[in-house]
Order: sequence, then structure tokens, then C-alpha cells
Amino acid sequence: MQARLSRRRRAWWLPEIPKSALMRRRMLWAYAFVAAPVVALLVFLLGPILFSGWVSLHRWDMLSPVSEMPWRGLSNYRYLLTKDPVFLKSLGNTFFFAIGGVGANTILGLGFALLLNSRIRGRAIWRVLYFMPVITAPLALAVMFAFIFDRNYGLVNNVITAIGLPRQPFLSGPNQALLTLVFIAVYQFVGYYIVLFLAGLQGIPQDYYDAAQVDGAGKLQEFRYITLPLLRPVMLFVVVTNTIGALQVFDLVFATTGGAPANSSMTVVLHMYNTAFKFSRMGRASAMAFILFGIILLITIVQVRLLRDRAYQD
Amino acid sequence: MQSESALLQPLARALKYVTLALGAFVMVFPFVWMIIASLMTAGEIQLRPPVWLPAEPQFRNYSELGESIPMGRLYFNSLFTSALIVFGVLLSSSLAGFAFAKYRFPGREFLFYLILATMMIPFFVTLIPVFFIVRQLGWIDTYQGLVVPGLTSAYGIFLMRQFIITLPDELIDAARIDGASELRIFWRIIVPLVKPALATLGTFTFIGSWNAFLWPLLVINSRELMTLPLGINSMKSLYADNTHLLMAGTAVAVLPMLCVFIFLQRYFIQGIALTGLKG
Repeated sequence: MQARLSRRRRAWWLPEIPKSALMRRRMLWAYAFVAAPVVALLVFLLGPILFSGWVSLHRWDMLSPVSEMPWRGLSNYRYLLTKDPVFLKSLGNTFFFAIGGVGANTILGLGFALLLNSRIRGRAIWRVLYFMPVITAPLALAVMFAFIFDRNYGLVNNVITAIGLPRQPFLSGPNQALLTLVFIAVYQFVGYYIVLFLAGLQGIPQDYYDAAQVDGAGKLQEFRYITLPLLRPVMLFVVVTNTIGALQVFDLVFATTGGAPANSSMTVVLHMYNTAFKFSRMGRASAMAFILFGIILLITIVQVRLLRDRAYQD
Repeated sequence: MQSESALLQPLARALKYVTLALGAFVMVFPFVWMIIASLMTAGEIQLRPPVWLPAEPQFRNYSELGESIPMGRLYFNSLFTSALIVFGVLLSSSLAGFAFAKYRFPGREFLFYLILATMMIPFFVTLIPVFFIVRQLGWIDTYQGLVVPGLTSAYGIFLMRQFIITLPDELIDAARIDGASELRIFWRIIVPLVKPALATLGTFTFIGSWNAFLWPLLVINSRELMTLPLGINSMKSLYADNTHLLMAGTAVAVLPMLCVFIFLQRYFIQGIALTGLKG
């Protein structure tokens, strides 16, 4: 049986089956090990993304049968990009949120990591304090900060008015809501980036700095020519993951402003959630998801190119 | 020159500590304020001019919670579902990672690239179809609806494969010569050696599912199955006019987890730094 199998000419597309019974048994074990996860990923990730793409070309309320979805071609995409002011607004807001958050997290994260990496007492304690919000549920932080930034009874307004400044609307002001959300998001995640940068800094060999000092380099030159170039991998990781995460913001906005006032803090995923689960427009919501997904992929590719290429030049 | 730097050094040191302390104050004070406000009366929160401390701490705010919010139930649901998800992710990731790292089988490369590709799919893209599937299965408002879609993680498989591939093949060969079965090799040799990676993956997965909101919001309707973030969400409307109770409820939902974190912080932070550098 075994001999006959191996002598027959194998078509190019047929996989190569190991010859010995022992190897075949091991192969079966390997299939058993990967079977459940692979099936789960097919059912809950790969299948859904294909289905989602298909739905984005239709009109569907999720109640009518899948086989009877009316075909709409690209009209969902056309509608979103030309006729849906809320979507375009939410896209702009989401970009603002991501750029503000990633910028602040990178600068503050690196800055505090540098401080913690210098000769300092109680490094572990500082790190814990900065890390506390990272592990706290975004929902809890949203509730805490909705109160802290409250127009009437909030702590920040209490302090501001106590020193004689005018009361600020913060989350309820069309010009301040999004900025306040950026602050909360930076508050939540900066500790994570401090820890990542700190680990990166501690991975740079001291020899480089010793050599630079022999050559008479100043602190600023050390930072520019040693620290920054050697931190590029960490920087890449921080910028890419933070951008991907920020562009998907949902919990925080849902639980504070809900996109209000006047959609001034509406973000794409929240708008998508409303479109799908409040208004039952699954086709349009899926198209939204795909547009954002495409943007995320594009931005990620650009960021990886930029940050990696420069690393080669240095 | 020398005297100038001798003068500046203590100043720079002081500035360093002041900056760190200021940052830490901003990080910690929101939690402190939540606790302070949770001990105020409804009137004290709205006083003008504002008061910064309750005249007398109102501990009964916390006992009042129990009458309207099933805190114990919320904790049970969060713990139970997070534990199942962590167990599922650790088991499936390490088994599949082991197979991809140490076995040769037709389709291995293809399947592995498939998993790498799914790693990049954000959750919101698959949200609608996964919700549809779970609804078709009749799993809306059940534990399995909450848990099953999270039992595998493409990232977890990738991470475990990267760790297991660094283990020497000789270990496995030696065990085979001793007559160990494949499952025994996995359990007795692979798992003990990748414990640090498992701890990290488990920590990440736990925090993720413990804090998850969007998926539970879609799947769970009934009070009996709510997780902590859903509980906070429903307290938001329930206590819209009772901020002191809302703060007490949020404190109960958040502080025990923070205590666990502070207790285990070394492992948490080391693991997180580790995966950041790998990626």
C-alpha cells in the first residue's frame, strides 16, 4: 500500500505525504493540533471578512435572508464618500484623534522613559503609578473623566473657577470634546509606551555612550546619534500599534460623548456601530469598515516604510 | 565650568523628580478623586463653592449599591468568561504554535501565512458577520456567545510559534526515543519551557477580555450575564443623577483588579516589555 502510493506519479498540486508510517502518524498529530484553531479562525475571522466585503456591496438589514440581499454595487461606498457628511466628519475626527494621541504618547512616552532610565530612585514605583490606567477598563476611565470634566460639578472646572478663570464645557463643547478625548486616551495609554520605550532604552549597550563620551559628544548629540537611531524598532512598534489602536477607538467615545455635540466627536467605529446596530444598515456599515480597514493598512505600510528605511540610512 | 555644573546638577535632579511626581499625580489623582467622590453625599458633590472632602465619609454609599447592582454576579461573569477565554487562547495557541514550529506537514506554510494574514484583521471589520453567525447559532445572551469567538487568537499562535521554534529539536527527539507520546512531549517538555511566554500571552488576553466592552454590549442583554464593563455602562444611566453612587460602583468594579496588578506588577510589566520588543 505504502510502496504503491510512493511509486505513482504525484500531480504537482498534491501535497507530499511522508513515506514512513511513523512520520505519517506525527503528521496526523500536527493536523490535530492545528485543526481547532484553524477552523475557528476560518469561522470567526477569514469567513467573516469575506462575508463583510460581500455585504458591503448590498443592502441588508440582517433580518431578511442572506440569499435575498439586493445588490447595490459600489453605491454604499459612493454614498459614504460623497453624500454622508457624518462619515466624512467622523473620518476627520478619527484622524485628529489618532494624530494627537500618537504624537503625545510618543513624545511623553519617550520623555518619561528617558527620565526613568536616568539615575533615579524608586523606578519600579514610578512605573507602577504610570501603568495603572493601562490595565483599567476604558469604560471605567470614561465614567471617571466624564465626572472630572463635567461642566457643572467637575473637578477641573472647580479648580479653574476657584482661580478665577471662566468655566469650560470640555466634553460638552463642540470645540473641546475631541481634544478632551485625546487627553483621556493619552492618559490611559502613555504608561504602556513608557514601559516599551524604557525596555528599549535599557537594551542599548552602555559601550556606545562610553565611546561617545571619549569622543567628547554632548548629551544632545548622544540622544540624536545613539539613542534615537537605536530606538527605531521600538519607535516603529509604538507608532504603528498606537495608530492602529487609535483609529479604532470606540469604548471611550461611546461612554463619554456618544459622538456629541453635533457629531464633533463622532468617530468611524462609533458611526459604524450606530449605522449597523441602531439603523440596521449592514451594507453601509460594512462599507465603512472596509474603508477604515483600507486606510489602516495604507497608513501602516507607509509608517513601516518610513521608519524602517531611515533606520537603514543611519 | 566645573562650578557651574556642580550648581546645576542638584537643580536638574530636583527638576527630574518634580516632573515625575507631577506626572504621577496626574495619573493617580483621578482614581483618588473617584474614591473621594464615592464617599460624598449627593448634595456635597453639587455644592457651590465646591468641597474637596466629604464632611463625613459616607460608607453606606457602597452598601446602597448592592440593592440595585448585582456586583457579585458581575464579578463572577467577568471572571468566568475571562478565565475560559484565557484557557482557550493558551491551549489553542500553544498547541498550534507547537505544530507550526516543530512538525512537518503538507500545507504548513500555507496555513501559517493564513494565520499571519488574519492577525492584521481588526475586530471591527468582522463585527457584523460574527454577530450574525452568533445570532444564527442562537447564542445571543449566552456565555458561549460571549466566549467562543474569543477562544483562538492568531496573534497568540504566532507568538507561541516564535517561542517554541527557538527550543532545540534534540529535546523532542530525546523524548521520542524514550517513547513519549506527542501529547506527552507537548505537556511535559514544551509547556514548561514556554511558561514565560504563556504568562505574558495569558496576561494580555486576560486584560483584554476583562476590559472588553463592544462585543459584550452586542451579545449580552440580560442583567444576569453582564460583565463588569457592561455593569458600569448600565450604572451610567441608572445613577445619572447620583454621581456619588456611580463613583462608588466604578470603584468597586476597578479597584480589586488594580490591587492584583500592584501585587503582581513585576510580572505584568516585564512580560509586556518583552512582547513589545519582539514585535
